[in-house]
Amino acid sequence: MAAAGAGAEALAASVRDFVSGQQDGRAAEVAAGVKDGRWTVLQLVEALGFCLENTDPRMRGRGIQLLSQVLLQCYSLLQEKEVLHLVLFYESRLQDNHLVIPSVLQGLRALSMCEVLSPGLAVSVLKAIFQEVHVQSLLQLDRHTVYSIITNFMSTREEELKGLGANFTFGFIQVMDGEKDPRNLLVAFQIVHDLIAKDYALGPFVEELFEVTSCYFPVDFTPPPNDPHGIQREDLILSLRAVLASTTQFAEFLLPLLIEKLDSELQSAKLDSLQTLTACCAIYGQKELQEFLPSLWSSLRREVFQTASEKTETECLTALRALSACLSRSVLSSDSEDLLDSFLSSILQDCRHHLCEPDMKLVWPSAKLLQAAAGASLRTYHRISHSVLPLLLEQYTKHTQSSQRRTILEMLLGFLELQQKWGHVEEDESPLLSHQAPVCSVVFSALLDPSVQLQLVGIKALTVLGSLQGFLSSSNLELVVDHLIRLALHEEDSQSSEAAMEAAGSLAPTYPKVFSGHMVPRLEEELQSEREESHHKRHSLQQRCLQALAAVSTHTSIMKETVPILLQHLQKVQKGTEAKNTQDVISVCQSLHHVALQCQQDAEGCWYFHQTVVPCLLAMAVQAAMPESTHTLPGKALLEEEVLAAMIPVISAATTHLSPELAAQSVSHVVPLFLDGDVSFLPQNSFPCSFQPFGDGEHLEAQRRLVALLMAFVCSLPRDVAIPQQEWLLRELLALSCSCNCPFTATTAAKCFAGLVNKHPAGQQLDEILQLAVNRMEPSLAEGPRRTQALTLLLWVTKALVLRYHPLSSCLTDKLLGLLGDMELGPATADGFSLLMAESPDVLHKGCHADVRIMFRQRFFTDNVPKLVRGFHGAGPDVKANYLKGLSHVLNHLPKPVLVTELPTLLSLLLEALSCSDRVVQLSTLSCLHPLLLEAPQIMSLHVDTLVTKFLNLTSSPTMAVRIAALRCAHALTSLPTTVLLPYKGRVIRALAKPLDDKKRLVRKEAVAARGEWFLLGSPGR
Amino acid sequence: MPEALSLLCRVSAHPESRCWALAWSPSGALLASCGGDRAVRVWGREGSGWACRAVLADGHQRTVRRVAWSPCGQFLASASFDGTTCVWRRHEHGFEVVATLEGHENEVKSVAWAPSGSLLATCSRDKSVWVWEVDEEEQEFECVSVLSAHSQDVKHVVWHPSQELLASASYDDTVRLYREDEDDWVCCATLEGHTSTVWAVAWERSGQRLVSCSDDRTLRVWQRSEGHGGGSEHSWQCVCTLSGYHGRSIYDVAWCHLDGRGGHGVRRRRRAVFEEVSPVSPGSPVTFGLAAHVPRAHAQDANGVAWHPREPGLLASCGDDGDIAFWQYQRPEGL
Amino acid sequence: MVASGPGAAPLENANPLIYRRSGERPVTAREEDDELPDAIDDREIFDLIRSINDPEHPLTLEELNVVEQMRVKVDDAQSTVSVEFTPTIPHCSMATLIGLSIKVKLLRSLPERFKLDVHITPGTHASEHAVNKQLADKERVAAALENSHLLEVVNQCLSARS
Repeated sequence: MAAAGAGAEALAASVRDFVSGQQDGRAAEVAAGVKDGRWTVLQLVEALGFCLENTDPRMRGRGIQLLSQVLLQCYSLLQEKEVLHLVLFYESRLQDNHLVIPSVLQGLRALSMCEVLSPGLAVSVLKAIFQEVHVQSLLQLDRHTVYSIITNFMSTREEELKGLGANFTFGFIQVMDGEKDPRNLLVAFQIVHDLIAKDYALGPFVEELFEVTSCYFPVDFTPPPNDPHGIQREDLILSLRAVLASTTQFAEFLLPLLIEKLDSELQSAKLDSLQTLTACCAIYGQKELQEFLPSLWSSLRREVFQTASEKTETECLTALRALSACLSRSVLSSDSEDLLDSFLSSILQDCRHHLCEPDMKLVWPSAKLLQAAAGASLRTYHRISHSVLPLLLEQYTKHTQSSQRRTILEMLLGFLELQQKWGHVEEDESPLLSHQAPVCSVVFSALLDPSVQLQLVGIKALTVLGSLQGFLSSSNLELVVDHLIRLALHEEDSQSSEAAMEAAGSLAPTYPKVFSGHMVPRLEEELQSEREESHHKRHSLQQRCLQALAAVSTHTSIMKETVPILLQHLQKVQKGTEAKNTQDVISVCQSLHHVALQCQQDAEGCWYFHQTVVPCLLAMAVQAAMPESTHTLPGKALLEEEVLAAMIPVISAATTHLSPELAAQSVSHVVPLFLDGDVSFLPQNSFPCSFQPFGDGEHLEAQRRLVALLMAFVCSLPRDVAIPQQEWLLRELLALSCSCNCPFTATTAAKCFAGLVNKHPAGQQLDEILQLAVNRMEPSLAEGPRRTQALTLLLWVTKALVLRYHPLSSCLTDKLLGLLGDMELGPATADGFSLLMAESPDVLHKGCHADVRIMFRQRFFTDNVPKLVRGFHGAGPDVKANYLKGLSHVLNHLPKPVLVTELPTLLSLLLEALSCSDRVVQLSTLSCLHPLLLEAPQIMSLHVDTLVTKFLNLTSSPTMAVRIAALRCAHALTSLPTTVLLPYKGRVIRALAKPLDDKKRLVRKEAVAARGEWFLLGSPGR
Repeated sequence: MPEALSLLCRVSAHPESRCWALAWSPSGALLASCGGDRAVRVWGREGSGWACRAVLADGHQRTVRRVAWSPCGQFLASASFDGTTCVWRRHEHGFEVVATLEGHENEVKSVAWAPSGSLLATCSRDKSVWVWEVDEEEQEFECVSVLSAHSQDVKHVVWHPSQELLASASYDDTVRLYREDEDDWVCCATLEGHTSTVWAVAWERSGQRLVSCSDDRTLRVWQRSEGHGGGSEHSWQCVCTLSGYHGRSIYDVAWCHLDGRGGHGVRRRRRAVFEEVSPVSPGSPVTFGLAAHVPRAHAQDANGVAWHPREPGLLASCGDDGDIAFWQYQRPEGL
Repeated sequence: MVASGPGAAPLENANPLIYRRSGERPVTAREEDDELPDAIDDREIFDLIRSINDPEHPLTLEELNVVEQMRVKVDDAQSTVSVEFTPTIPHCSMATLIGLSIKVKLLRSLPERFKLDVHITPGTHASEHAVNKQLADKERVAAALENSHLLEVVNQCLSARS
């Protein structure tokens, strides 16, 4: 009792403090008291008695405010009976002074969240609000409270509210009528949407409900600068659209509105209308659209015919497609007039004749409209193409200029592509099928036209026709192949030739027999032919043959024929030593690589390729590397660095997709070949001498180079394939990388070692081999003749470990950071940071199953950039540039979004780096700053003075790339706020006059773009 | 004729803009320049070079096309594309606007003070030439005549060196002369001959001859023939056409009043000085020979030239590069 | 100079012939060589002006065949550029505006050493001489560019289309 008494006193004191003392903090204490049971809500009401009865409305308001705040925290603790009393109390207060109303509404909002609200109370509260409160004269927050109360009731008392019938809808219409605040509108629109979606009775108020929402259409709202609410124009547009397009009941009001807005001058109004129309088509039917179709069509047509905006055009076409689809959908259920047919007729009537004027402006808009309608359904496609296809075919013949024919064929192509979308030709009475012969003859004639542009469209059309199952007869198919061979091999223009090869590649999987039976033998014949008189011509013909063979190798059965041809050709060309042979060998390798990539996904093809190509390449290389066959290096074309480099991707691509079993089978041959000289699995395995690539002696120099091929193979294996004698192999590679005098071989050995280490399972073995590597590197790095080799090895091993987050990586990176200060190795080390960060083409990338953590660059950035910055500040003048260069490599490879967030902290250093005389530093600094200018203009504005000066200075750099980059940055400067830039406008324009006369065209082009943009700054019409 | 014209000094007068015209003050102590930066600048000697003494920046909203000093040297008038002419008064510390003459419908292209100082003339793209009466005491300017003789854009006006006789050059390819006739101003002569826009005219010191320069790439020298019709009507004849010296439009011409020399700015880096080489007698053909030629006097078009009123051979020129260049002319030996 | 903006009046030539764009100039190995100078040639000048927007159609001057590479002549050594443009119809009131846009684009984009001549293709416009004379008058061009309405239209012609 004493405790209760003390409680009552404390409560009374808190209430007094809150009401009279204006101490807002007391509300929380009072609420806490309710929650922990020190007093009840009833006691609070009693304690408040004095002020609830007070004649001063401010006192009453304060009292109710306290009660409401407590309720908002404690509504879940209330008993049904308490709720009842409170509701009655609050309802009665709705008639009170306007000062009191906000708190009353807060209280009602708390009560609207009570689960124990008795049936009938929700309706009673809403009725009271509708009756007593003029919502739109309240403040924004209080209006929001009303919407919340309604929303709460709608989500929990749907049935009760529906009992109100259309009165509820009417009440709400009055509540929201005149709402202007975007925050409130979002809620209000949601309520209207729910009214419709949940099937509340709209009664006679459909038009009113439409009016009260559609008056906001099209949404014209620009968020104020620094808007804390984050409401975008788009949010309002979408939520209003959801309301307007949610019911067919609005159609008769909405469609005239959309047509009106579509005709307005405002681009945004047009777009919004079009998108809303498209949305409506999802639920509308013939009934809703019927009356408005002529106006809709004439508005859409007018827009597409006249608009300058691609966006408007696209939206118009989307809307037309939606309309046509909508009419197609309802066509079956309609017993009245076929609206679709008459709609399409009017489209045809207005557009068809423009297709006959391929030189005129309206030809494309008309074609696009027709294609949009035709793309709506199979039915629209038939109707339109039935009328248009014969016309286009006729027009093609009628017009003789290539450019006109090209336009017509491009339109035809559009319809062919739609046919693709609607499935196979044979299944229906397709209009296309009935025009098979003329379509083919038109396309074939385009292929024979001297205009490359027309040929290209013809080739595209051919590809589409070929993809329509059953469209091309077998005799046509042979013609197709003949054309493709002619274009691929003999057409002078490389664009046509490439397009023909690509077409062959995409058709080959559909018609493997035709291509392997018809095309491959012809290509083989041409490849071997010695007919062409001039050497140059024969050479380029061979190149084309090689590319074409690769292009058609899309199907295993074809590939089994093309690969032997390619290998045979390789055998033939590798024997010479002239420079042209080198090029020829490389070309064959490129074709093989292309084939390898195409067959990777097919297990059978992949294994066939691997088994056939890898041993064959190895055998040829081993043969070439035999000491008897060559005395001086470079002897054979096959041993040239570029050729080996071209073979690497072939072997790698042939290996990466092997199944673990097959890979294991292959590795058991290849590794012993290199470690033991076991040549037994090679196709021609009688060599005059043994193969010992890891052996000592100068005569083995050629054999050592083949480590490149070993690398291509072992570094591409899936990670779970065990490599036999791996530790031995690693030791040999390590030794070779440190001791070999040939930079190519040493680097290759280092890369191979790194590739294996990256995939090596963690554990003692790995630690041992890494320790061994460190031990070998350190003395060589410190001094002696092989510092460069040691640095290369360090770089690659570091990369291997950085990629997999190995703990040793930070220690190795620190070594590299230290070497930046080395007079001799510093510059190479700085360049090495690019190697660490960049994707390597042959080893240590995802494609060859390397262990690459996705965030390694960010992590490297976080760990090492502070060290680089410190190093820079502490470094002597002659090595400072090394740190900047290293830093710029790291920054350059960072993903742009990360860069933009991280760079501001480095900005001062970057600005300093702009003065560095090293052009690599300049270039990479400029390329770091470029995205920042575009994406962080506010920060960059602070440095505008420095930026302008430095960029302008660099536009006269002796290096073209720097001049270009500096001009691009000067151009990007224009995205800074205009007011910041205007003081510099005259100076920049004057300074940019000089690069307009640069001796290099590419520089002039950038200068023109940058200067043009500066002229527009602050100028009308920008 | 090597070295006949040697560069003394070059000043970046209207950087980041073009310099349209120059005017020496009557004493030659100051040079005024104007340009596309909407400003007039006044230059004075400093050591061996020239320094900016004043920037008159707040008078005009657009390009200032021409400037002219009053004969007393106390006033400077500036004509602007903003359609107004400002009159500035010189005082101890600078210049202040004392009057803004409004009335032309659009760009004012030129302004000139009459030798008496009591008249001012302006011309405009609105095809008219206006004559204003000057009350120096009250600093008031009253338009006394609007002359609409030209059928096009009027490019330049200039007063006779000693009489109240006004010459104007126009886009309609003609030069016209005006004089006062019983309380009103009338056009008293039309000089036809140029085949394109006449950009400027200049009087010889005696006022007996005029030189005009044109977009047709020629200079024409015109001579007054006395006696016809008893004096009040003028008769002018083209006595000499200088063609072939300029490859592009000629924008300005100046006749040195210290001796018989004329200099003129030429579009494109060239400026030439022509010198009268034979004694001139009334009615006889006048011949001129090229006295000096500087192919790259300005990086871009030269817009204006002005001979110093006191120092023989001192010439100033200005151009689209925004520079003013000062030159010394030496009469080549043997001429 | 003409001062009427596009858009207000009905199009003079509502349905003009359209021509294909020539596409980006391919970059050659020579152009990528740091040392070798590339002379300013006709194509380079043409590239400067072909993408200028027509003041009344949503098309470029190239698409309307108002400018053609064969009507562009440059002499890099003599620093002269001459461009002829062909209005779409002989009474086109936009001719001066188009010429002005070409002139302004070249003024902004070419080294200052160049002398520019922008003319109407002889015999293709009713007021050929008057338009040519206006375009050649640098004082009028300068004044036109201080007219903010005209400058706005020219800038729109020179802005990259979104």
